[in-house]
Amino acid sequence: MARSFQVGDTFTHVRECDVYRPIFYAGASGDFNPIHIDPEVGKVAGLDGVILQGLCTLGWAVEAVAVFVGDPGRIRKVKVRFSRPVRPEDTVTFAGRVTAIEAGRLTTEVTATNQRGEAVLKGAVVEASIG
Amino acid sequence: MAIDKRFIGREYGPFTYTIGAEKLREFTLAVGGAHPAAGTPGEPPAHVSPLLYDDQAAKAGPYGDLIAFPSFAVVFAIRPFATAVADPELNLNLLMLVHGEQELEFLDVMRPGDVMTTTGRISDAYEKAGKQFLIATTESRNQRGDLVVKGTWTAVIRG
Repeated sequence: MARSFQVGDTFTHVRECDVYRPIFYAGASGDFNPIHIDPEVGKVAGLDGVILQGLCTLGWAVEAVAVFVGDPGRIRKVKVRFSRPVRPEDTVTFAGRVTAIEAGRLTTEVTATNQRGEAVLKGAVVEASIG
Repeated sequence: MAIDKRFIGREYGPFTYTIGAEKLREFTLAVGGAHPAAGTPGEPPAHVSPLLYDDQAAKAGPYGDLIAFPSFAVVFAIRPFATAVADPELNLNLLMLVHGEQELEFLDVMRPGDVMTTTGRISDAYEKAGKQFLIATTESRNQRGDLVVKGTWTAVIRG
């Protein structure tokens, strides 16, 4: 199925961190750090409750690009900085833009913003093969 | 207290992990937003590619089998990083530790039955703006010895 991509193409992907998502992700990933599953530990750590695993947010950024290119097997690289925690009941909007297409590889810059307009990822870049 | 520079270069692993189809499904659906019920990983949300959970669709697809959601790699590739930050000789305050940055490079897809072996090392440690940074790099190879996943993991110890 041929599909053409252009520099400047944009896409969005919206994900809700429901109240149990950190626990579901803990079970699936094995990341049972108590700051993700125990609100009391989150408070002691100064986080005001539990926070979502950053790697789940990374997964959503990858998912945004995988949906855009139509095949998760084409993702080649992801790089992110976790700038702010995602908390249960946050809604995160991923907005991507194709910044380069070269040698069968597409580069996207992805922003991830919570419902208060705060960036939860910084400098996120995801690359996918389109050859 | 600054992390002693002599720990740079310390190696962790190899760690071996066999990829199982049900674990792939569980991970892909948990990231995708499914709500697990007792004994099931939950219904696949519409945006999740069938290549990640539907045997028949995957066998008819470009890879001939189920493939892993790319960031499934963290399940096994995190081991050297997780072992490093918990290394008693480094004496880090894990409660003050956050995951600062992450880079993953995927050189091939991962399929059920693949046996992944991950090695890693502390590649840097420094202090910036009153915080301690610990960087680990990892390499994960499949059972044929092919490099499949490269990772760069950054821990930040606050305060």
